[in-house]
Amino acid sequence: MKILVVDDDAIVIKSCRRILEAEGFEVSSVPSADKALEELKSYDFDLLLIDVKMPKHDGMYLMREIKKNWPEIPIIIMSGYPTPETIAEVLRLGATLFIPKPFKPDELVKSVRQALKNVPPKKSFPTGAG
Amino acid sequence: MIYSTRSKLILSFLSVSILVSGVALIVGGQLLYKAVLNEATTRVRLDLNAAREIYLSRIKGVKVALNVTTLGPVFRASLEKHDAQKLVGLLRNVAQQTELDFAGIVTKEGKTLCHIGPHSIPKEPTLPNPIANLALQQRTAVSGTVILNNEFLFAEDPELANRARIKFVPTMRAVPRPQTEELSGMALAAAVPVFEAGNFLGVLYGGVLLNRSQEIVDRVRDTVFQQETYNGRSIGTATIFLNDLRISTNVISPDGNRAIGTLASEEVKEHVLVEGKKWIDRAFVVNDWYITAYEPIEDIFGQRVGMLYVGVLEAKYADVRRKALSIFIIVTVAGMALAIGLGTLIASRTSRPVQQLIEASIQVSEGNLSPEIGPISKSNIGVLQKTFKEMLTSLQERDKQSEIKLLQSEKQASIGKLAGGVAHEINNPLTGIFTFTHMLLRQKDLPAEVRSDLETIAQETERVRKIVKGLLDFSRQTELDREPTDVNRLVRYTLSLVENQALIKGINLNFETGEGLPMITLDRNQMQSVLLNVIMNALDATEPGGNITITTGMGVSANKPDQKGVEIVCNDTGCGIPSENLDKLFDPFFTTKEIGQGTGLGLSVSYGIVDRHEGAIWVQSKVGRGSTFTIWLPVEEERAKHENISGG
Repeated sequence: MKILVVDDDAIVIKSCRRILEAEGFEVSSVPSADKALEELKSYDFDLLLIDVKMPKHDGMYLMREIKKNWPEIPIIIMSGYPTPETIAEVLRLGATLFIPKPFKPDELVKSVRQALKNVPPKKSFPTGAG
Repeated sequence: MIYSTRSKLILSFLSVSILVSGVALIVGGQLLYKAVLNEATTRVRLDLNAAREIYLSRIKGVKVALNVTTLGPVFRASLEKHDAQKLVGLLRNVAQQTELDFAGIVTKEGKTLCHIGPHSIPKEPTLPNPIANLALQQRTAVSGTVILNNEFLFAEDPELANRARIKFVPTMRAVPRPQTEELSGMALAAAVPVFEAGNFLGVLYGGVLLNRSQEIVDRVRDTVFQQETYNGRSIGTATIFLNDLRISTNVISPDGNRAIGTLASEEVKEHVLVEGKKWIDRAFVVNDWYITAYEPIEDIFGQRVGMLYVGVLEAKYADVRRKALSIFIIVTVAGMALAIGLGTLIASRTSRPVQQLIEASIQVSEGNLSPEIGPISKSNIGVLQKTFKEMLTSLQERDKQSEIKLLQSEKQASIGKLAGGVAHEINNPLTGIFTFTHMLLRQKDLPAEVRSDLETIAQETERVRKIVKGLLDFSRQTELDREPTDVNRLVRYTLSLVENQALIKGINLNFETGEGLPMITLDRNQMQSVLLNVIMNALDATEPGGNITITTGMGVSANKPDQKGVEIVCNDTGCGIPSENLDKLFDPFFTTKEIGQGTGLGLSVSYGIVDRHEGAIWVQSKVGRGSTFTIWLPVEEERAKHENISGG
């Protein structure tokens, strides 16, 4: 299972990578929305973990762009400023889950597994891997 | 707009003044002219009477003179003796004294015995003498106007015949004559029969020729008009006409001579000579308009042979009218000037405040809410000014209020922004701390001390997370998500969250449940955080072995004594709060704890939440004895009843 983490803060990427790799996921990371789109063109991912607040293009923008080309990839949006408005907007744009920062490792893992569970398995990957 | 108001005002003033003065001009002018004309005609009527009297008195004078003469004994004796020589002498004497132009004696046979002219004792048969013959026939004295033909006059005196001859002068408005001159003469004459002891001796006759005579007309002018002049001309004129011919007059023709030979106008001739009526009206005389009076003159035989005329120059009266009219016009013009002046003055007085109001409203529209509107007018524009001022005041107040509101919301927004930014920035590193602490804790073979330390880190990080959450909550002041709630259940649940903590600290946690409490509609999460906050504070303040007691029950708030409510009381046996801190307890960021031990956020957030539930939170405390926090929440009667039944 391959997960792309998009966040401009290195500590968040580091944390996610630590938690998810411990669970056996393959983790890539990029610091911006533009880089994320480039990455998506080159590689396939099973899940995206995206921060809302980023310089230049934010997570909302990135999600809209992803939904145009890769509508089926599950997305978890994370935010350090979880207002009801943000959550509503995120879910409206088609995010699979929303997770407020800061989170504990268990909370993240639980969310990731939950998000993957809702997605029909891809043909190219063996079933039951998540 | 202002200018049009001004011009309208001026125009209306002008039109009123023009109307009034125009009417006054026409009516007044007409009335005045009529009055003047009336006066003038009355005057000429009287003047004509006077002229007639003068005319008649001259006839009477001739008659009296002749009468007196016949009474003289010398005259009678001479007549009896037919002493012509002597008689001529006597007659010439009388004629000279009484200004007679002709005089003579006719015998009872009708023959002229003598007269005063040349050839005073005629030899050949004499011409018929109209006046003497009348007296001869009637054997009584006669006097009056008489027409004498040229031959008679010539016989009397060739000089008289010459005087009587008058050439016609073509005259405007007159009936032209076929002849070129008048030869007859008009005379005032008298004839007196003379008797001596019953015997008729003859007739004494005499008279004055009116042709070219100035005597009567000038006397009329001098006595009646008293030499009144207008522009150098005599204002009054008198004329004696032979038929329609001026034979004796003081009307002056343009060449400066008396207008002898000119004719009366056709309408006058028709009216007076043909119809025999008086004419009193304006008439054209020779070359000018006069206010005139004409009457016919009848001769001794009762024939209309001429006219007597007096007239005053109309120019004098026209001048009076012209003067009056010009005064009227001057008054009118002055009135108009006054109207324009007054109109301008009033218009500018009226429009000045209006102009100022307009300027003020322009300023208001440009954002200046305290423009100059000038002194308050006493007229009804003053009401407008006052209203405008009041409107400005209320606008200013509204502005101020909205400014305050804006300031408040700006303040709140900036706090929110700050809190949001801080939360975001803190939450990222917190994620790191959480991650690595918990990842470490997953290791099974950790020494107990390390594990305990890591757990402390995890706990404290959890607290930071809560603080940041509280900060976010405070900045957002999220709206309440109310639902009917059993207060006892909420309290019990909250207590379960802190049970372990109390246990760890060695504090007894008691709950005294109030019975039969109504359901309260509240935001469970927010109210739970309030309770948590209060209990956590109590836990912090209380030493191991102390007690914390939560009590629920019906209660009354000091602020709303009539309102039913439920109260949750948290009583601890902690350190208590100094009285100087009690007031500041609910201020944001107020804290009594050491740095790192607390943020002080909890109570102000709690206060806000309770307040938004229309409830109240207050505290009683004694240092060393403990504190009591009371959360009071109102019960809505209708809902409370309903929920009591359904909720149990």
